Amino acid sequence: MKNTARDWYKDAVFYEVHVKAFKDANGDGIGDFAGLIESLDYIQELGVDCVWILPMYPSPLRDDGYDISDFYGIHPSYGTVADFQKFLDAAHARDLRVITDLVMNHTSDQHPWFQASRSSPLSPYADYYVWSSSDRRFGDARIIFVDTEKSNWTLDPTRGEYYWHRFFSHQPDLNYDNSAVCRAMLDVMRFWLDRGLDGFRCDAVPYLVEREGTSCENLPETHAILKEFRAVIDQEYGGDRILLAEANQWPEDVRPYFGNGDEFHMSFHFPLMPRLYLGLRLEDTRPITDIFTHTPPIPPTCQWGLFLRNHDELTLEMVTNEERAFMYYAYAHESDMKLNLGIRRRLAPLLDGDRRRVELLNCLLLTLPGSPIIYYGDEIGMGDNVYLGDRNGVRTPMQWSRDRNAGFSSVEHGQLYLPVITDPVYGYEAVNVAAQARQPSSLLNTMRRLLAARRTSSVFGRGNIEFLRPRNSKVLAYLRRHARETLLIVANLSATPQPVELDLAAFTGATPIEMLGATAFPTIRTAPYFLSLGPHGFYWFRLERPGDGDEPFGIERTAI
Amino acid sequence: MSAVAVGPELPPDVDRQLDGLAPAELAVSVLTYNNAATVPAVVDAVHAGLEKHFTGTPAVLINADAGSSDTTVDRLAESGLPFVRAHHAAPAAQLGAVPFHGVPGRGAALRLAVAVARRLGVRALLVLEADVTSVTGEWLERLLRPVLEHGADLVLPVHARHRYDGTITNLVLAPLVGALLGRRLHQPLSGPRALSARALERLAAESRWPESGRSVADLWIAGTALADGLSVHEARLGRWRVESNTRTADLPAMVAQTLGAVFAMMDEYEDLWLGTAAGPPVPVEGPPVLPSDEPVQIDVERMIGAFTRGLRDLGTIWEHVLAPDTLGDVLSLEADDVERFRFPDDLWARVVYDFALGHHWSIVYRDHLLRSLVPLYLGRTAAYVLATRRRDAAAAESALAAVADAFEREKPYLVDRWR
Repeated sequence: MKNTARDWYKDAVFYEVHVKAFKDANGDGIGDFAGLIESLDYIQELGVDCVWILPMYPSPLRDDGYDISDFYGIHPSYGTVADFQKFLDAAHARDLRVITDLVMNHTSDQHPWFQASRSSPLSPYADYYVWSSSDRRFGDARIIFVDTEKSNWTLDPTRGEYYWHRFFSHQPDLNYDNSAVCRAMLDVMRFWLDRGLDGFRCDAVPYLVEREGTSCENLPETHAILKEFRAVIDQEYGGDRILLAEANQWPEDVRPYFGNGDEFHMSFHFPLMPRLYLGLRLEDTRPITDIFTHTPPIPPTCQWGLFLRNHDELTLEMVTNEERAFMYYAYAHESDMKLNLGIRRRLAPLLDGDRRRVELLNCLLLTLPGSPIIYYGDEIGMGDNVYLGDRNGVRTPMQWSRDRNAGFSSVEHGQLYLPVITDPVYGYEAVNVAAQARQPSSLLNTMRRLLAARRTSSVFGRGNIEFLRPRNSKVLAYLRRHARETLLIVANLSATPQPVELDLAAFTGATPIEMLGATAFPTIRTAPYFLSLGPHGFYWFRLERPGDGDEPFGIERTAI
Repeated sequence: MSAVAVGPELPPDVDRQLDGLAPAELAVSVLTYNNAATVPAVVDAVHAGLEKHFTGTPAVLINADAGSSDTTVDRLAESGLPFVRAHHAAPAAQLGAVPFHGVPGRGAALRLAVAVARRLGVRALLVLEADVTSVTGEWLERLLRPVLEHGADLVLPVHARHRYDGTITNLVLAPLVGALLGRRLHQPLSGPRALSARALERLAAESRWPESGRSVADLWIAGTALADGLSVHEARLGRWRVESNTRTADLPAMVAQTLGAVFAMMDEYEDLWLGTAAGPPVPVEGPPVLPSDEPVQIDVERMIGAFTRGLRDLGTIWEHVLAPDTLGDVLSLEADDVERFRFPDDLWARVVYDFALGHHWSIVYRDHLLRSLVPLYLGRTAAYVLATRRRDAAAAESALAAVADAFEREKPYLVDRWR
């Protein structure tokens, strides 16, 4: 059932999908929108609310679509704008919302705007990009893709000037000091929103504006532009279309992207993700609880986006050097597994295929404050192939069945955009949707159950968080509260059974109801509440006080 | 549903009590189940009413008891009036469930009272609730006078109530029952009522008494009276106050019990409503009594919150119950802005009719179905409060009349899909 509230994103679970990787309907070895339409029932049955589509625009694909050469089209391998419209309508018919990636910061160097811009300083598009006769400007800005780029400036031989790029040199940054660029980008947004799109995941937003003597990140001028975009979209589209920021920054630096509830609706919580892995490997709750002490409150209409993995490397930019070294030690024992400042692996192989740890991290993903984002394939425990280069190893075809090409496509194996995973542990013959759908205890069905349980309470998306501090630091326990409802989450980060005593005296008389099985646990007394947890075990409790639900509307006593 | 165990033949112990009784013109029946704390107020009202309005008229007090373990029966027996004690068995499930009206086996109790009154040959039977302590002597006069002097066969009460009291009755039961039976009854499930000798005769001969203890009998009596062309009136009474430990304040239970009773009546007694057309208005007797208009605290925002949570959580049930168009219209209700929230009457009527059809066809487990209506009812009630809270009493009445109109207008929708 569609959540019709304007702030639907606060309750939503997102599902991140690459069109090319999901289902190939036209038999060319590349996934497409027609295939995605065929797969919508699966996505709906998983129990998510919103599909996030990675870049689907025409592109030379030198950065997997994040190098857009036409904001108004669909990459021919994926279909047409009409196909996209059919997909959007089909998703809406299933009460699924859809957001798409939008790269605001830069374009492909093949984009007609850049081609015109480089052709002459007199072109109408001359100032659409950041040009300079010197490559010394903005010298305080860091280089992000340290493995491939030596400078943020590249000399364009045609125009004879340097152009600014924070990412790959084939991705020139747009010049947001030019109001024509702002208008052009708003028109791009209108084009897709007019078709019914529910919002954008805005890529690389901290870098829109450059100023000398600064890091050229998170500048006030950038925020002013983003606020303007938000105001226009709210005004023209009724307030339920969302903007999700990709700002790989510390929470206190991300906080301004929410503004006063007038900038982004959502932003990823980047630093939380590596600390979930750290806490798990260290069997210690402190990396997780500590990051929340550094997470500022956000406006009530805003929401964090939480994730375990995505289409990029598991970024370790937001950890200390020591933490990064430990993460590499624990999760990337081969050099091929590392990329930039991160680890290019999927969830299941990161956790050594340990089902209990996969479920535990998903438990945390679904119960910590924010809206969870599930990366396609992680719900069945898909593997990766770190030898495919760049981040391709985590972008392989979805594994539908043990049929040819994992049921993804009917073409010859060699024609696939990337090979399917075939290793004995994570290969498609062992890990696929069809097999797991039939197996009640499969990871897929466990994920469905967890997602279904999450839907029963708005506390997950809307409640605050209060960590309990049990003496056993291997057990993470926190309360989530919203309105009159309180949930208690208890998770064992350890690979061995653990006891824990929780101070729940404030809830004396309440009965913990385990939410996955609706089992009533012993009533809470003033004495510490004792629980024992199996290896990586967890509980989701709803604390029901006597009289809960009797809070009157004011009409009950005489309603008949 | 089967007929109750107590047939036209009275139990031997009741027979014995009747043998020794002098003839009576009036019978007052009190249906009880552990009401020792409140029956004295009822007895006082009976005394006051008889002395003031029916002086010298021989009367008898009939107690139909479901097996009280307290002193209820003793207190009634001490009333000083000629007394008949009739015990009836109550289904164990109803005893355990403690239904809202507090008298398990209500159908059996009513049937007993009717049978005893008929045997006594009274001109009128008055039925009173044991836990309604706002009863006064005036109620006797208002309910009995139309029978004794104006040719009424069944007199139902119209209590003076606050505009936001009885929202289940006003927004669901009354418009639904009115549309079904073809006559608008203000409070069709309210307990107090008076019956004429003719009605007693007619009902005593009826073999289809409902067994349910959950108000089906009350509805069936009204439906049978109307279908048989008996004269049904309403009488304005004073305020309605109940003091009971057994009536629930749990809305889902209330909705399940009351609406479940109407739906059960619809299933079992199609002949009473399926082909029934709207008839003339039911006469309402007695001077109007101004209802309380004191400010009340109603949490409209929370009600709308419950409605929107229902949209989220109960969609899988509603998708089975509601017709696609109805569901679509419900989903498109704008609940974001509390002040502007509306719930159109025609849509509401279709929602209730879809639930009736879902119950009829057992589309989902019936108790789940009934309880899943609650968020919709809360939404409709919130819309009613929002539409009337800054308006006068007449406007509130007119809003309720519009609801009744909608149910009557949409009745063909129900009938077309019933078979």
